[in-house]
Amino acid sequence: MPVFKTPFNGYSVRFSPFYESRLAVATAQNFGILGNGRVHVVDLAPTGPVINELVAFDTADGVYDVAWSESHDSVLVAAIADGSIKVYDTALPPQSNPVRSLKEHAREVHGLDYNPTRRDSFLSASWDDSVKLWTLDRPASLRTFREHAYCVYSVAWNPKHADVFASASGDCTVRIWDVREPGSTMIIPGHEHEILSCDWNKYDECLIATASVDKSIKIWDVRNYRVPVSVLNGHGYAVRKIKFSPHRRNLLVSCSYDMTVCLWDFMVEDALVGRYDHHTEFAVGVDLSVLVDGLMASTGWDELVYVWQQGMDPRAS
Amino acid sequence: MATTQPPSPNSNDDKPQPVSEAVQQSNQILQGVSPDATKQSVPASVFVNSEPIREDQVSNAVKFLSHPKVKGSPVVYRRSFLERKGLTKEEIDEAFRRVPDPTPSSQPASLNPDTQAKSSSNFQTQAPIQTPQPVAAAPTGIVSVGTVARRQFHWYHAVSAVGLLAASGCGTALLIKKVIIPKLKLWVRKVVLEEENDHAKKIDAKPSLAEEAAAAAKAAAAAAADVAKASQEMLNSKNEERTRFEEFMNLMVAQVQEMKSMSNSIRKLEGQASSSGRTFSDHDDHRVTASSTKQPYANGKVDVNVQPGRSSTPPASAEPPHPKSYIEIMEMIQRGEKPSNIREVNDMPPNPNQQLSNPRIAPRTKPWETQNGPSQVLRSQTSAEGLNQNGQDNGLNYLVDDESSMPWWQRKNVRITEIENEDEAKAGGPYGVRTNEQALVQRSWVPPQPPPVAMPEAAEAIRRPKSAPKETATQEQLADDQTAARPSEVNDELQRITKMSESAGAVEMNGGFPSGNSMAIQEEGNSHEGN
Repeated sequence: MPVFKTPFNGYSVRFSPFYESRLAVATAQNFGILGNGRVHVVDLAPTGPVINELVAFDTADGVYDVAWSESHDSVLVAAIADGSIKVYDTALPPQSNPVRSLKEHAREVHGLDYNPTRRDSFLSASWDDSVKLWTLDRPASLRTFREHAYCVYSVAWNPKHADVFASASGDCTVRIWDVREPGSTMIIPGHEHEILSCDWNKYDECLIATASVDKSIKIWDVRNYRVPVSVLNGHGYAVRKIKFSPHRRNLLVSCSYDMTVCLWDFMVEDALVGRYDHHTEFAVGVDLSVLVDGLMASTGWDELVYVWQQGMDPRAS
Repeated sequence: MATTQPPSPNSNDDKPQPVSEAVQQSNQILQGVSPDATKQSVPASVFVNSEPIREDQVSNAVKFLSHPKVKGSPVVYRRSFLERKGLTKEEIDEAFRRVPDPTPSSQPASLNPDTQAKSSSNFQTQAPIQTPQPVAAAPTGIVSVGTVARRQFHWYHAVSAVGLLAASGCGTALLIKKVIIPKLKLWVRKVVLEEENDHAKKIDAKPSLAEEAAAAAKAAAAAAADVAKASQEMLNSKNEERTRFEEFMNLMVAQVQEMKSMSNSIRKLEGQASSSGRTFSDHDDHRVTASSTKQPYANGKVDVNVQPGRSSTPPASAEPPHPKSYIEIMEMIQRGEKPSNIREVNDMPPNPNQQLSNPRIAPRTKPWETQNGPSQVLRSQTSAEGLNQNGQDNGLNYLVDDESSMPWWQRKNVRITEIENEDEAKAGGPYGVRTNEQALVQRSWVPPQPPPVAMPEAAEAIRRPKSAPKETATQEQLADDQTAARPSEVNDELQRITKMSESAGAVEMNGGFPSGNSMAIQEEGNSHEGN
């Protein structure tokens, strides 16, 4: 399985929704505490287990997250620790990049998500307690959603309802929003600790998973949100990111500060169906490919990006 | 959720309601409410709270919000606390509406602790005693202190009370001096004048005068002694007052201490296996720039017991072990040094109005959008077909060339695929067209094999010829209709279209039927995206 070494500490990895072999990696120097950042766009070589870098963009501050546009195959957006969002177009020469710098957040932008249904807008989650809605053709945000009492770490569009999204925050709640409504429509006090990540089930639009500092992942049904559908325990430390599989209804992947990437089937009694401990530092980013079933990627503070097929050993060569 | 002690000293035992009870209640209510769902402002949306307001939760929240300590905290923390306790937005708004206004004439119904009320009234009775003369500051001071005492920080009015007392003490001492001394002078003058008169009248009354003078002097001395005594008494009383006041202050301080310890214990109870302390790895109070602004939250402000997730006790299993260099860098920054590997990077866009390049590939439908169930096959097939009618696939050209070998990431766990394919075949349905072989096939687009006959009536219908243009026309029409359709209807429409194409029966049965099917789906996806 191929490995890609980044000069800085990895923060996020995302598969392209257009090209099966393409990924974007967000990295930040000095663990993201203070320093520059870099966005890598890499390609998986078709012949062998090699990852080639297509292009890399340097940033003044660390990059915490990256998201591919769903409408333009060469465009990606990056969440920067100085509060700005940079837009890159890989089809343009590197000197023309970035094509946009959207600076509105007062603090670090920690999460991005592109609308997979409507494909024209994306959300940014920031430590300034707000979520903003943007489109590529406008220099200013369309909406600001300010209700959380603490940092918003993650934001996720509902895969079926183009106007609904969820945000996960350090105030220990997950809020469901509808862009047509002025405020949040639901508040799920999911955990007793900060909630770092949330994601919707792709095949049941009422199921949402939350990952928290309390080392657990909980699956909630919004129709009955007082009690979780399932609680997934098994990580040794805070769970940093989760993602539901785009191909399997009950499968979700998570990465944690215990340096492992885990696969879960939440409908099964013994939910943990896979565990990969290839990272030697915090595993902070994980993604499942929408185009290739079973293909997954992860990155961590050990400055490595792994791409492998589910069921195989990421470190196998 | 962990049970918690409410912050108000008037302990509300019903506040820590067991979650199950609440769930049962809400479930029952939900079942009763479901026929009324249509009355909701957002019809048929599952992402909205349809529970009615729970009165017990609201009353608990009102008690919480009426607590003086809570009133001193920012509104956003009060809301956050209530949200974390599971109250809905409506319940929280209702509680805020019901909390009485903070004025001195607030109703006795407001649940202030009795001790505090007593202390404020005590103070108010004490203060008038202290000021026999209406010193200008005193009345307003008393009033303002009186109003403040009921709500706010005790030490404020303690400090002002001490100041007042000192001022009044000095004032009375001064006044008394001013009164006594003139009187004394007058009296002495009077005596002297009398003396002179007497002296003028009686020369030989000198010795008596002298005696009288002596007597006067004695009286004066006595008066002075009296004055001294009086002032001594004044001083004593002032000291007494002071000591009394010290005691009073100590009592207040003790009260404040008790409150603080109470709030500490409350917070401990709440955040038992609790949340991030300052040092929690991710939440990136490691950011140097951040630390200044987030400082008050991070240090866990003692007064506010509604801190969102920032209690003072880290969870039992402690923090994850940070990399050594991470700790080094943190220390470096705390010392004020900057790591040496940082460069000056200009990451601003060279041309902020730069046009984005035109997309070369049309967006692909997601695996979950086109089918009711998960599909392994869909990704390669539809992605290969794409929406490019001419069949070109720019981004995958290199793979088309390399048809012979499968890219390494396509090889998957064969066992899983086979099992899933079996399920698929059994499932059938309108999308039973997906064949088993296609799961393992390589990247490039291959016309799919005719599907196994899952539905004999469909096979029958297919064999009935129908004209192709009509079929596409109806498909187009349906596609157009979709522009206004809600996402939830997509599946129904897709099924309808599939049935149409099945019954219409495209001219080329083999390749055309499934491709026509998927074309319809692609158009569906397309027009839907165009919304």
